Amino acid sequence: MAKILVVADIKQGVLKSSTTELLSKAKDLGAEAAVVAVGSGVQSLVAELVKAGSDTQYVADDAGLELFSAGPYAAAVVDAAKQFGADMVWFGFSESSKAVAPRVAAQLDAACATEITDVTLGEPVEVIRPAITNKVLQRVRINTAQLVAVVRAGAFEADEGITGTENVVQLAAPEPDTKAVVKEVVSDTSGDIDLGDADIVVSVGRGARNEAGVELVHELARDLDAAFGSSRAMVDAGFMPHNKQVGQTGRIVAPSLYMAVGISGAIQHLAGMNGSKVIMAVNKDPEAPIFNVADYGIVGDLFEVVPILREEIKKVRS
Amino acid sequence: MNPVLMSVLLIVALGIFTRTMIRKIRLLQALQPAERVNHIAERVKNMLVLAVGQKRLIGRQRERSSGIMHAFIFWGFCVLLIRSIMIYGEAFQHGFTLPLLNEAHLAGYLYTALKDVMEGIVLAMILYAFYRRIVVRPARLHNSFEAYLVLALIGILMVSDLLYDGARYNLTQLYNNPVGIHFFDNPRYGTEFAWTPVSVGAASLISKLGMEANIVIMTIMFWLHICTQLTFLNILPLGKHFHVITALPNVFLKSLGYPHEKPKLLDLEDEAAWEDESLGVNHIHQLDWKQGLDLYTCTECGRCKDVCPAHVTEKPLNLFEFNDHLKHELLANADKIIERSRLAATLAQCSDEAEAEKIRERMATLNSEKQLVGDVIAEDTLWACTTCRACEEVCPVTIEHVPRIVAMRQGQTLMAEAYPRELNPALKGLERNGNPWGIGYDKRADWADGLGVPTMAENPDVDYLFWVGCAGSFDDRSKKVSRAIVTILQKAGVRFAILGTEEKCTGDFARKVGNEMLYQMSAQENIETLNGYGVKKIITACPHCLNTLKHEYPQLGGHYEVTHHSVFIAQLVKSGRIQIKPSLTGALTYHDPCYLGRYNEIFDEPRFLVQAAAKGVYRELDRHGRESFCCGAGGGRMWMEETIGKRINLERAEEIVSCQVGNVAVGCPFCLTMIEDGMKELEKEEEIRTLDIAEIVAESLA
Amino acid sequence: MKILTTVKKVVDVELNIHVQDGAIVEDGLQYVINAWDESGVETAVQLKENHGAETTLVSIGGGDNTDIIRRCYAMGIEKGMHIDDPALEKADAFIYARVLQKVFEKGDYDLVITGKQAQDTDNGQTGIILAEYLGLPCVSNAVGIEVIDDTHLKVTRSGDTGDEIIELELPAVVTVDVSINEPRLPQMRGLMMAKKKPIEKLDLAALGTSAEEIGCAAPKSEVVEFMATEKRAGGRKFEGEAADITAQVVQLLAEEAKVL
Repeated sequence: MAKILVVADIKQGVLKSSTTELLSKAKDLGAEAAVVAVGSGVQSLVAELVKAGSDTQYVADDAGLELFSAGPYAAAVVDAAKQFGADMVWFGFSESSKAVAPRVAAQLDAACATEITDVTLGEPVEVIRPAITNKVLQRVRINTAQLVAVVRAGAFEADEGITGTENVVQLAAPEPDTKAVVKEVVSDTSGDIDLGDADIVVSVGRGARNEAGVELVHELARDLDAAFGSSRAMVDAGFMPHNKQVGQTGRIVAPSLYMAVGISGAIQHLAGMNGSKVIMAVNKDPEAPIFNVADYGIVGDLFEVVPILREEIKKVRS
Repeated sequence: MNPVLMSVLLIVALGIFTRTMIRKIRLLQALQPAERVNHIAERVKNMLVLAVGQKRLIGRQRERSSGIMHAFIFWGFCVLLIRSIMIYGEAFQHGFTLPLLNEAHLAGYLYTALKDVMEGIVLAMILYAFYRRIVVRPARLHNSFEAYLVLALIGILMVSDLLYDGARYNLTQLYNNPVGIHFFDNPRYGTEFAWTPVSVGAASLISKLGMEANIVIMTIMFWLHICTQLTFLNILPLGKHFHVITALPNVFLKSLGYPHEKPKLLDLEDEAAWEDESLGVNHIHQLDWKQGLDLYTCTECGRCKDVCPAHVTEKPLNLFEFNDHLKHELLANADKIIERSRLAATLAQCSDEAEAEKIRERMATLNSEKQLVGDVIAEDTLWACTTCRACEEVCPVTIEHVPRIVAMRQGQTLMAEAYPRELNPALKGLERNGNPWGIGYDKRADWADGLGVPTMAENPDVDYLFWVGCAGSFDDRSKKVSRAIVTILQKAGVRFAILGTEEKCTGDFARKVGNEMLYQMSAQENIETLNGYGVKKIITACPHCLNTLKHEYPQLGGHYEVTHHSVFIAQLVKSGRIQIKPSLTGALTYHDPCYLGRYNEIFDEPRFLVQAAAKGVYRELDRHGRESFCCGAGGGRMWMEETIGKRINLERAEEIVSCQVGNVAVGCPFCLTMIEDGMKELEKEEEIRTLDIAEIVAESLA
Repeated sequence: MKILTTVKKVVDVELNIHVQDGAIVEDGLQYVINAWDESGVETAVQLKENHGAETTLVSIGGGDNTDIIRRCYAMGIEKGMHIDDPALEKADAFIYARVLQKVFEKGDYDLVITGKQAQDTDNGQTGIILAEYLGLPCVSNAVGIEVIDDTHLKVTRSGDTGDEIIELELPAVVTVDVSINEPRLPQMRGLMMAKKKPIEKLDLAALGTSAEEIGCAAPKSEVVEFMATEKRAGGRKFEGEAADITAQVVQLLAEEAKVL
């Protein structure tokens, strides 16, 4: 039986859904599933980690781990992987994972695969992942005994009925990284949910024209507890920060619902969001290319449509 | 009257004048060479029509009153030149006259009458000029001390001559000619005074002063006239009135390639040019002598400012100041430039490397202390230009503003590597994928999917190549125009093909922002492709492509017959291959694109087509035809943000709105984008449709 | 400060990529410098201009990389080497990292700058693995770099909860994101001078190593086949009265798509 170690996706003390999704897949493949939680105060998440489906919980809880630092986090994961005897180490998709996974792989002398959408056990193990800025898929054969993988957001389905057993293993606190010291973290003060985290993403494009228009669409995002993204045009024009740009050279997102408001649908933007489950678009031009990929397209002026959208959504949600 | 005094005055005045002129000419000679003494017949014609005929002054509907004013001052000068000779002669020989213009001939009397009337008219025009400067105060005029001084001097010249003749009249006709004044008196024609009403009028003003007074007045006015004239002569080269001397030569030597004169083809492999930074104009000594002459000739009339889209919308591009600043920089560095030119000549003869190195070092120390772009001309000034050429269209002395700006941009881009960085995405896109949007070249023909348009690769045996251009290939709005053109061509049964993914940007915008490297690269690639297919005839929808393919590609070996789609479609209609029935509702106007109208002189065919398709009334915009107002996208400005002043496209959109139409037709993808954007900003895009000519025709095909 | 920066020649992702019989269709493709590496080069050149750093680039594989390396010279990189060897044909990130390790050890570098990922593999691993092999500290996904002194940098990293401000001790590895800067365009004069600059060409032997030592015969992972992504088709477009169609769509989102 394969042994899969899932790295718990914990952000600001909250256990994210990818943990359950990855554990569900592990169990679905018939593997023995453990989880490793690294951070400060993560001990309190043990019950949740069990409920998420893990049969062993490796915990590295230390005040020194409060701010993310790739070195110590990687050391803790390697520790857990070695103790567990993991065949695979899986990470949910995040910036932290992308920084830690290659270190873990190098230290374990394992293969490393980023953004996998599927994995098949066997001789050999194979994964599917995107390449060439998400334009094609690759089937990759893993030649090593161990694999470290970062899993694409939403690639695996959570099993609602999953459970695990409590079996906590405390890990020694890893050495801090004295050569790359995190001095502070400047948080995104907008209060918005991060693009990578949200189930719903609302993006604004040139149709919004100015600050008033951007704010209008932002309100819609807040109503939906959605992440707020942008087309490149609005970032270039200075209305939105770069880290909110959805597109080929920005963020690639795949939420359940993507609302493209006032976005024409240039190829570079589509590259960033056409993996979304459902796409809804609002645009004044009936021939805007966004309608070629939108599941539901509203032809209209966003200044007229967005207030109505907010109304209707409030009605439906109540 | 007094030959000694006259001789002294003449020697001193002409001596000073000659010295000044020699220095001015020597400075021009020290500048870079230019090929302008050719096609003499055409040049003479230009000079007669534009300079002598004052066409741009009296031929323009705008500013006609001031145009007429100046025309008469100028013609007056021409007529009075002969008079001046007579006056100088009088100082040496009492009663001096010129052959054929003496009292024996009718011509003499006619000339006398003409001169008299002209003096009166010139005086009136001078007074009008004062009135304009002091009371009317048009914005374009630069009210300098020199302007008033010269008007005053001309006024004095006229008044002094009239009073001189007036005194002569009084003395000869009223006081029995006590000092033996010579005057025309031919029994057939009468006295000269019978022919000079204005002088006689002047005479009546001073007749009451008595004989002694009139003698004094006559003498004083005589010498006043001469001294004023000689002083005036020497003032001319010092300021804007140098144009009095240089305007005719400047017009004679003007660029014959206008209005689509192309930049000189730079040899980018020329290592020596890189060494002394002479690609483009980066230093004042790199101007050529014709550009120097342009600087001498600016009359500071400001007509350019009135029509410049950048200036009108408050960008820091003031062409008079541009000229003025360059001129002062040129004059301030005159000695250095002349010295440098001398050294360059020596260098050319020098065969000893060590000696040559010394000369080069010495030359390097002769550069101006000021940065040409930065100190003399501001960066924002240089990059504000849209290359629309409205300035050159109205300049009465045919100064070549745009080529100079492009040359300076070349200097900035190639040598100083200082150009607006916001152009980088467009330049990078051009280089990598052959279009300023940077969209993959493999998608260039996607617009034509399903339309049954063959590529040259599939079918090289066609009559015409339809050159689509980057906008028509990649811009969603312009793709509709490309499709409309295909509809029309197919309906007419024209055998045509497109280059598809083999087509690349013509490189126009790269050239206009000074990036000769990318321009030549694009052009060479395109020419190779076109020549490879043996393309002879090209139809294009984009006036920038039209201009570049037609007038600039020949420099690199590409010779094609290029036609704008409006001209081609008009031919189809006229030959009956397609028919247009009126179907466009609402009033209609047409915006002349700069590169179609001014640059390529195509005004009629677009109007013919859109008027044929219009049901509603057609109105002209105030600024139309040759004086059309730019949309703001030319000169690479399409790829730059407009951050200063009012947006040019807004200015034009407002003009269109005030024309009260439901439709505005254009013939250029840039104009289409800019004007449509302007309408959106004014929230008029529902009311006023912006359409390409082809779209209008396609919708109106019978 | 001596900087080593990596440059990879990759396919131009503005183009459509077609897959046939499990492989990428090469016909019509063009190759360019990896966008993230371009930002890395710009970062190195800015450090040279502002702090007198010495810059060297290394490019691995790719066949004829002369154009790309010359463009980097024109941007301001002073020296460059191209490592090419038939044994590297199936290189994965670990093998690249081993080669880079050899390059690093052969020189005397304080800072390695790589792009955060390559636009052909989308991996984002090589720089980080290199740091592991070299035993050097590493910051990935950097969006800002400032020099504190000869041995310390202040690196801003774009993290999950915001921007992480990290004090990094040299020698170190930094991988950069494209948002760190706007790479300059190589200018004509630079390109002309770049033509005369030599590019050091090395195979594994010249690098002082061998295919065996690098582990070329046994890549940890291998691409077996390429597949096309599902092409997304458009759904329904609603035109008409804003109030009506909006209400309709919201209903559908809630009931049909079940995403609200």
